Amino acid sequence: MGNIMTVIIYGVLFSYLLAGILYLGGNLKSKASFFKYALVLAVVGCVLHFALLVMRTLLTGMLPLTNGSEFLLTFAWVTVLIYLILSYRYEIQAAGGVVMLLSALMVFVLIALTGGSLHAVAPLMPALKSPWLTVHVITAAVAYSAFTVAAGLAVIQFFPVGHGIKEHHMNLLVKCGFALLSLSIVLGAIWAEQAWGRYWSWDPKETWALITWLIYAVYLHLYRNREWRGNNARWMVIIGFLLVMFTFFGVNYLLPGLHSYA
Amino acid sequence: MEHVRKVFKFISSMKTGLVVLVLIGLVSAIGSAVFPRTFFETLFFKLLLLLLLLNMFLCTVNRIRLTVRSLLAGPGRKVWYRNWGILLLHLGIVFILLGGMMYSAYGQNNRIHLAAGERVNMQRVLDIEHSFTLQLNEFRIEFNEDGSPSQYVSEVTILEEGQKVKQVAISVNHPLNYKGVKAYQYSFGFMINAEYVAEDGEEKSGSFVEGALLQPGGTERKVKIFKYIPNFNPAHGMNTVTLRPDNPRIIFSVYEGDKFLGVGAAAFNEPVEIDENVNVTFTGVEPYTVLEVKHDPGLPLVLAGGITLMLGVCLALLTAPGRKSNNDHR
Repeated sequence: MGNIMTVIIYGVLFSYLLAGILYLGGNLKSKASFFKYALVLAVVGCVLHFALLVMRTLLTGMLPLTNGSEFLLTFAWVTVLIYLILSYRYEIQAAGGVVMLLSALMVFVLIALTGGSLHAVAPLMPALKSPWLTVHVITAAVAYSAFTVAAGLAVIQFFPVGHGIKEHHMNLLVKCGFALLSLSIVLGAIWAEQAWGRYWSWDPKETWALITWLIYAVYLHLYRNREWRGNNARWMVIIGFLLVMFTFFGVNYLLPGLHSYA
Repeated sequence: MEHVRKVFKFISSMKTGLVVLVLIGLVSAIGSAVFPRTFFETLFFKLLLLLLLLNMFLCTVNRIRLTVRSLLAGPGRKVWYRNWGILLLHLGIVFILLGGMMYSAYGQNNRIHLAAGERVNMQRVLDIEHSFTLQLNEFRIEFNEDGSPSQYVSEVTILEEGQKVKQVAISVNHPLNYKGVKAYQYSFGFMINAEYVAEDGEEKSGSFVEGALLQPGGTERKVKIFKYIPNFNPAHGMNTVTLRPDNPRIIFSVYEGDKFLGVGAAAFNEPVEIDENVNVTFTGVEPYTVLEVKHDPGLPLVLAGGITLMLGVCLALLTAPGRKSNNDHR
């Protein structure tokens, strides 16, 4: 199954990359057909990506949420899924290029980190053996994805092609992401209390997750009071996304701590 | 009176709250990078959290007023959910901060080392009212097929006034919770059993910690017990291949005075010749467990706060999509 998985993940990368380029091309040339092909490619990539998640689940007998690579795989898939669901309901395809290229980048980083081999199976370490694992990590992955799509909407709104995108769609994504990040942090704290005896230890992951949570909290207050809309709100959503990226990559791969499972 | 009102208004304003949030974020980022161990213990940081607590407490009281008023006005169901959600969210954070403060003020923790058969009176490690004793019956490591650890288990008996009350297995993710004291599987270690003839000519056998120095009789040489390696492979050096004892060895070194003579890896029950007719035999190892014990009177409040926060966030989210946000936009 390992070889098939390697082939599929390159297929996913290729689909997302091409979809992203076509979306951007559609923006530049304003050709509707570009968007149509881009959408088909994004859907194909998403289905292949889902197949990978299923295969990984069958391989390990657990949902693919137990280490940094699996998290990245799930995170990238949910990002595309959220984008596809939203673009079905709302006019947000102008942001398709940014979102698909970000997802392609995540898949690329995953390939770079694992060498494309997704079939390695290692037993769970005792600290991870907990029913809290699934809910803590799923909420984090979906929250990160919502923030990523929100950042995609924020970036494209700086350009003329993005002017059709409604600000409250970005705000909706941030709200959902914030709610899920809140759940993830609380569930993680409950778990940490059981596993290590401390619900909060200020380890790098906790600290940076809190910083991320704080910036979105400030954003939500300012947005609600109509104080910061437009470019200021967009910048905050982009900075929030960069913090999410640092909380994931920076903390997992640069700063040692309790969360160094990757 | 006017001053008091102004100070009150300043502390309870949302602007102050947001500034405090941004400050906490900034100093956490800098503090954790520069002083990772100590920063969050400093008075400065604790005062910042206290200011946040004050601000959020007052802001929550304000919100309660607003929420009750909106309840009386009989608005749509969505607004109702949303207001309650936001109120609960803030209330949850207030509870968490209060509970955290209770831990800083009255919480205690400590670590205990126990080998099989050893016991400890909890009142000797924690300042608690209710006395009970913890006795370790067995510490064991369970393994996966590949030799990696799958679980660490401390089988303990709880005794009160010498009487057995109950038997519990403490393992990672399954702490003991007894009369306000929680005990967690924190770590473990090994004592090394050795036999040798001492200087007075007596046969000696005992359990030693890693790093202990043995002084056998009939020689000037000393043996330092360096380390227990459960699964020894020279290619891995001083690191064990797996935690499972597939090839256990004791790493020891021999000295004469201050002079280092050599290092070796001894199997169990295999006499090691230190000098002519002087032997040391390592007969095995005895594991001990390390438990983290904690008394935190703020824990129920923090848990209630966490649940309240999650409930609030879900309620507020239920109202997020749909027409309401369109109205918001206009």
